[in-house]
Amino acid sequence: MLSVGFRALFRREILRFVRRPKNTFMPPAITNVLYFAVFGVILGNRIDQIAGYDYILFIVPGLIVLGAISNAFENASFSIFHGRWNEYIHETLTSPLSYVEMVVAYVGASAVRGLVVGLIIAAVGRVFVPIGIKHGLYLVATMVVITSLFAGFGIIGGLIARDFDDLTVMNQFILRPLVFFGAVFYSLETFEQAWQVNLSLLNPMVYMVDSVRYGLLGYSDLIGVGILPAPYTEFAPLVSLGVLTTGTVLVLAIDVYLFEIGYGLTD
Amino acid sequence: MPPAIETVDLVKEYGELRALQELSLTVEEGEFFGLLGPNGAGKTTFINTLVGLVRKTGGEARVFGYDVEDDYRRARDAIGLAPQEFNVDRFFTIREVLKHKAGYHGVPEDEAADRADEVLKRVGIYDKRDERFDWLSGGMKRRLLLARALVTEPDLLILDEPTAGVDVQLRHDLWELVRELNEEGTTILLTTHYIEEAERLCDRVAIMNEGRKVTVATPDELKQRGTDTIAVRLESAPSVEPELGPYAHETTVSGDRLEVRVDDGGSTAPQLLNDLEAMGHEIADLEITRTSLEEIFVDLTRSEDRTVTRSSADGADEEPPVSREQEREREQEGVA
Repeated sequence: MLSVGFRALFRREILRFVRRPKNTFMPPAITNVLYFAVFGVILGNRIDQIAGYDYILFIVPGLIVLGAISNAFENASFSIFHGRWNEYIHETLTSPLSYVEMVVAYVGASAVRGLVVGLIIAAVGRVFVPIGIKHGLYLVATMVVITSLFAGFGIIGGLIARDFDDLTVMNQFILRPLVFFGAVFYSLETFEQAWQVNLSLLNPMVYMVDSVRYGLLGYSDLIGVGILPAPYTEFAPLVSLGVLTTGTVLVLAIDVYLFEIGYGLTD
Repeated sequence: MPPAIETVDLVKEYGELRALQELSLTVEEGEFFGLLGPNGAGKTTFINTLVGLVRKTGGEARVFGYDVEDDYRRARDAIGLAPQEFNVDRFFTIREVLKHKAGYHGVPEDEAADRADEVLKRVGIYDKRDERFDWLSGGMKRRLLLARALVTEPDLLILDEPTAGVDVQLRHDLWELVRELNEEGTTILLTTHYIEEAERLCDRVAIMNEGRKVTVATPDELKQRGTDTIAVRLESAPSVEPELGPYAHETTVSGDRLEVRVDDGGSTAPQLLNDLEAMGHEIADLEITRTSLEEIFVDLTRSEDRTVTRSSADGADEEPPVSREQEREREQEGVA
């Protein structure tokens, strides 16, 4: 897997976003300063604690997820689409890299960008509120899985997009609403009606936000609302991570398949 | 050793359109092979099938014995492609672009950097190594495409219209360079619109038209397929057209000038002169004109049946699209 060719493509992908911090790292840093200042400090002081946490601390995991997966998606979709648009993706396609290597390099680099943005947001949050880590290993595994998952979606987006507007549509009109209704800014326990909780549980973002929140704060809405029956209630975060991992593997398999058939890449 | 390129009944269809029609072609290792054809003939489709940018609909295609789909990694590793289009990574300097390309082909980073420098020097744009592609002039861009094809040290170098739109000096530089590469053992597949280019460089050429192979021959063999014209100026204009032997395919008289179309001008001229003198004509002047490869090319491609191709369907071709009626006709002929 770590062939010279794979490393060359992975390195190229990393360099592409590292050299453009104004486009890649500055926007999420600034946006999250605003989020923390407005929602955390100005509004947060007027909001009661949620699940025993100050509001500003409660929203940290969700903001990390929002930034991390958006950037993972954006990086992969842009890299693929821009390469298609200007046809320089042919440099990769005409090389002896295997399709698995190509996909893993694109996804891996995009996941790295998502992780770095996640760290930046955590660092910004740390300025406003002390943040501890309750389940470090679980947190790292979750972040790797969800950034890879959205990088994998980004590949599909980059392959099906016909112009740059399509990428914007995917990010702004699909990804962002799902994240905002993914219990970033509220707890599922806030809902009084069962259908509201059940509807939320159909949103895959809920599981991602909840997993990161569990890793950071040790609190899980999924345990709180009892998504699994007793005595398995406490296993909800692990099951959640398992399902997310399975989903990621499936999406990456679809990516490899699309590369194999040349969808959006070859005539 | 297996041939550098071997295709058998290669077909590429875009819906109902057939860009390649049962194309069987063999290019031997070490050959300098030319692919000639008008726009929309399927030359680029053929090349892109070999490198994986086009997926074939049917038939077989192998590069040095490796199937271009089942064994795509080894097939692609053997090929260096300089395409028509400027499809170069705009995010990096051209030196980095070359390093990345070499890296994708498994060349370690240090060696990739050395190779990048080496090929940049070879094509004469080393001093531009830290520029991005967009800042290069048209000729330099063309040179970079060649450098990128060379940086992986391919056994098969494919040049798709490498001299399209470049100035005379650059064209000659490129010719010299690719000739050197061929002498060093690299197999070269060249597509071109410039007949002179094929004539100068290629051991053999294939003429393609509408996705099919029309013929494969050496440039000399092709030229021999054409007719020569012997132009004779007589001391006085003949009153009637002289009756010549069967060697004369066509005779035209214009005042004191007589033009005779024959198979081989060199060997036929003495007999023609004898015949004319025997008829009482006095010869003032004589000139033999050989058919150019260009004329033969035009003749071969003009007489072919027309078939719609992707580029013509896309409107990217100068040729008008084919009507449904014409398509039906072709189907009846078993062509489409």
